[in-house]
Amino acid sequence: MVQASSVEIRKVNKFYGPFQALKDIDLSVPPGKVTCLIGPSGSGKSTLLRCINFLEEYDSGEVRIDDQLIGYEVPGGRKMPARKLREMRRSIGMVFQQFNLWPHMTAQENVAEGLIRVRGLPRAEAADRAVEALRKVGLGDKMANHPARLSGGQQQRVAIARAIAMEPQLMLFDEPTSALDPELVGEVLNVMKTLAGEGMTMVVVTHEMGFAAHVADQVAFMEAGELVAVDAPARILHQPEDPRIQGFLRTYHERNAF
Amino acid sequence: MFSIETFFDSFGPLFWAARYTLLVSGLGIALGLVIGALICAAGLSRWTAAQRFAAIWVSFLRGVPLLVQLLLMYYLLPVIGINVPAIAAAVITVGICASAYISEIWRGAIGALPKGQSEAAIAIGMDPRNVWTRIILPQAVVLSLPALVNELILLVKASSLVSVVGILEVTRASQAHAATTFRPLEVYLAAACIYLLINLCLAGLGRYLEHRTAV
Repeated sequence: MVQASSVEIRKVNKFYGPFQALKDIDLSVPPGKVTCLIGPSGSGKSTLLRCINFLEEYDSGEVRIDDQLIGYEVPGGRKMPARKLREMRRSIGMVFQQFNLWPHMTAQENVAEGLIRVRGLPRAEAADRAVEALRKVGLGDKMANHPARLSGGQQQRVAIARAIAMEPQLMLFDEPTSALDPELVGEVLNVMKTLAGEGMTMVVVTHEMGFAAHVADQVAFMEAGELVAVDAPARILHQPEDPRIQGFLRTYHERNAF
Repeated sequence: MFSIETFFDSFGPLFWAARYTLLVSGLGIALGLVIGALICAAGLSRWTAAQRFAAIWVSFLRGVPLLVQLLLMYYLLPVIGINVPAIAAAVITVGICASAYISEIWRGAIGALPKGQSEAAIAIGMDPRNVWTRIILPQAVVLSLPALVNELILLVKASSLVSVVGILEVTRASQAHAATTFRPLEVYLAAACIYLLINLCLAGLGRYLEHRTAV
């Protein structure tokens, strides 16, 4: 079992100039649970996710990881020192839609890099842990490959290995399967399911309703920068009360029907 | 009548003069890489004064012909009390001029990297120094290689301009040789061959480097 963090989001607002991307968002992510963020594109799901590790700077409100405010010294106050922010990010893993593997490094080097440069591990130990992490995502035989020599699904699994090798207490997934060919989605979702089964706290922005239905402990629906509803997956996906969710799911089912 | 003999005889003195062509362009690019890196860093810094300085540096050096820059430098240095040989003034001018183009090449290469590359590093808590030295620069340098080789080839050709400050490089040597042999066609053809030879070698080197650094 991993040490799992909780996330508390309170009254978070985010503006891009006059455009309000996040409107008074409240969300609790309990430790060891999987929370899926769903909703139409442009609804603010990714922005909210990126506020959790402060890759996106929220303008007001609070985001707390295990009660520790991230990004600011006090709510509405000065930014926290860069060193302190880096320290908090060490225990928050993130997986991106475009994988963002470093193309000039092998799979093993991609995973070991953070262990060496951020955790300060000796090279040999970092290499061993990288192998271990790659085995865990089923890529023990691809260690020496550069990203260009891996399929999309394999690249995304390396990216997950890169994150979990840092031994995070919270994992953020930003549409991890959206850039993948349909036949490669399953292998990535399986790795994520395993991780969820080990008790990792996960926040997942996704369009995979099957994953949300079967793996999530709670599903949050967002639209136009607002968090419309948070509830058990079945309540959101099967008996939605809000017409906005009904509309979204209708479009989703129509697109996937053939 | 075309004199094959004069054509071949020209190579001796011209090859000898080519050492200045290589010296000016070689040292020029080396100096250009160093200053170009500093200017690029200034342009990307958070400091407005540094940004402004880099912008002025680049627009002045790209906007004024190298020939005029050479003449300016040649006559300016003694005025401000610096007496250096013409060859030093030439190398410095060529290097400074190249730095403007090289800083733009690097700025372009850095800008061409997807934002996700550094974000992935920042997300695991990497500090800015490592983000630059481990993630951004190794990729940007590789991306910039073709443009840098191109710049070096341009410099080899531009080095013919330093003849105006009295340096006996290939072009100036061929003018002198043409005047003594009364065979301009043969001599200049030989000069063209020498430039071509140097630049074909550089292009080959460029392809080799690109191939070696390809991922």
